[in-house]
Amino acid sequence: MKFNLFRVFVVLLFLAVPVLGVWTFVDAERWKMWFPEGVTTYAGEIDFLFDIILWMVAITFVGTEFLLVWAIWRFSKKEDGKVTYTHGNHTLEVVWSAVPALLLIFIAFSQMGAWSTIKMNFPDEGPYTVDAPMMEVIAGQFDWWVRYPDEEGNFRGEDVIDVPFDIHVPVNTKVVFRLKSRDVLHSFFVPKFRLKQDAVPGMSIPVWFEATETGSYDLICAELCGWGHYKMAGRVHVLEEQEYEDWLSQKRSELYAND
Amino acid sequence: MVVLLATTALVTPLSCKLEPRVPELVYSPNSAEIEKNDDLAQDEAAQAQLEGLLQFLFGTPQAPSYLSLQGWGDDEFYPDDWGYDFVATDDDWWDRLVDSNRRAYARQIEAIKEGDFDAVTESYEAPGVWDAWLDALANKPDDPDAEFDEGGSWRDYAVSIFENYYPTLRDSAELYRTQCFHCHGAEGGGNGSTAEFLNPRPRDYRHGTFKWTALRDKSRPRHEDLFRILAEGIRTTAMPNFRRLTDAQIHGLVDYVRFLAVRGETERLLISDFNEDERLSTQMVEENYQLVIDRWHKAADLVITYDGEVPRATPERIEHGRYLFTTPGEEGGANCVACHGTTGLGDGPSVNDPDNSVDDWGNPIKPRNLQSGTFRFGRRPIDLFRRIYVGINGTPMPEHIGQQITDSDGTVRPLNEEDVWDMAFFVRSLSTEPMESAGTSGPDREHSDH
Repeated sequence: MKFNLFRVFVVLLFLAVPVLGVWTFVDAERWKMWFPEGVTTYAGEIDFLFDIILWMVAITFVGTEFLLVWAIWRFSKKEDGKVTYTHGNHTLEVVWSAVPALLLIFIAFSQMGAWSTIKMNFPDEGPYTVDAPMMEVIAGQFDWWVRYPDEEGNFRGEDVIDVPFDIHVPVNTKVVFRLKSRDVLHSFFVPKFRLKQDAVPGMSIPVWFEATETGSYDLICAELCGWGHYKMAGRVHVLEEQEYEDWLSQKRSELYAND
Repeated sequence: MVVLLATTALVTPLSCKLEPRVPELVYSPNSAEIEKNDDLAQDEAAQAQLEGLLQFLFGTPQAPSYLSLQGWGDDEFYPDDWGYDFVATDDDWWDRLVDSNRRAYARQIEAIKEGDFDAVTESYEAPGVWDAWLDALANKPDDPDAEFDEGGSWRDYAVSIFENYYPTLRDSAELYRTQCFHCHGAEGGGNGSTAEFLNPRPRDYRHGTFKWTALRDKSRPRHEDLFRILAEGIRTTAMPNFRRLTDAQIHGLVDYVRFLAVRGETERLLISDFNEDERLSTQMVEENYQLVIDRWHKAADLVITYDGEVPRATPERIEHGRYLFTTPGEEGGANCVACHGTTGLGDGPSVNDPDNSVDDWGNPIKPRNLQSGTFRFGRRPIDLFRRIYVGINGTPMPEHIGQQITDSDGTVRPLNEEDVWDMAFFVRSLSTEPMESAGTSGPDREHSDH
């Protein structure tokens, strides 16, 4: 009897883990800690996948936590008599291996659609394609540069436009760009686009997205790339088609500015 | 169990406590220079006097300020407000600054307009704006829209605190501490803790010399030149861009860099002028301080401009540029080959010249590989025009305008602006393809250059 209070305390302490854990998710939106809105055509697919996995993890997490709490309560009671030994339960082991395996297979298949949309099905017509991308984004320690081709679409021509930090793209257009790295691994991550792609030195990786809302969105490096990783930020400005054209032609005229 | 819980309870809040990791700064003396002057190196009293003197002139990193000399006020020169007047050729900078402030403080401005003054909370590293706001809040009349301070309402005034924020030297010193100090050092000596790992090394401001200017006579850079370096960074170096800061913050950092350069150069001049007889006389201090300020002050008059539209590259221009570039000086060319080599790879014969191996800061010289397409201060024609025109401060890259050249028909004449354009176009052509062949490159040379 004299240990009862301590048992209750320990059980409540461990019970707090699933309760608070679930509460942080349920209440996250109120604290503005949930996902920012998605502003690309495929953002919904990514969020859907996230939700599936979140539910699977949530059910497993809550189940195992309650099992744990129950076990703490049940077996912390001092009982007389000998303890029993067990050498395992073959059926149980098969079940707890097979169920996660099936879940993994389920996840593997359910993500294939999103993967092929984002990483494989590049637009083959329209203003920008893999062979004629809109821009090159060049990651380097510790900044982002974007290069727009000259009017013939040549990235090695005289009149290419190099812009640091700010990436400008038109809204409701399938934008294709090539991602490069100047030195080490970086990762192009725009949370609101639900887009993340590693930049690998020596490779020129095609990436596409179609933004659905105008605005300015944060771009960050999502691969630890050195001491200045934290400051490797950029911004993606999604503009109306006409605004984008105006911006581009202004940049073209600035090339031959005489200031 | 109890011990474990107690430890957890104790340790968690301690490790969560966010302490600024950046130490309080002090300006350390320029010991490398002091060692060069035997009189001063052996005279510790004089060294202490010099340190006190510099503190009197420029304050401390916590309270940086220029000492105004007599007469400056009569000329309407107020060095602490230098930034306002020093933007020489750009008329829209203030509008852009206000725009940028509006974006950065949108939340606060919105809250003031709606009257929700509790929602005005601190953001961005701008202590000055926060202090001014608290001050305004303390003086708030009962009706925020009542007339206040000549004409406008208090509400307008409160909004303008955020919109018109321009950092003081003190605000910028604080920002410098978190953004710049770890490479450039407290006194701008290019000797911060990460400097050792960088190639090229961070700039030592104390020489007063900055490489990338658009000015004649090896002058100090314009406010705009330094602003551009901060806003765009320097490609293929460790200097990143700082566009995530507001325009005002960048202008403020430029002011502070100029302040450190003035302080550092004054210190250098005082150290080298120190001698047993004169010691640190008031006259000597005033003269040197005035000299350093003057060097910065005349900068705006010397901008290199080209009268007329920027020309376009043509095969003839590129060919003439190639002739000037590849012909050695003794044969009447512009002698670029001596350092940059015949193909522009930066492998000319003078690379091995021991008298020509370090720049003004003592760092090894590496002529630019012009095939890489990386131009540190921009690849626009006007940028290359200025670079070839005036050279690069502190390095063997010389001024080319007016240099004696021999035309292919044997005429000897000074190199003129058109020749500079031709050379610029030739240099650009080394890293670009002719316009006919379209399509993207693979991993191109520029980005693997390091």
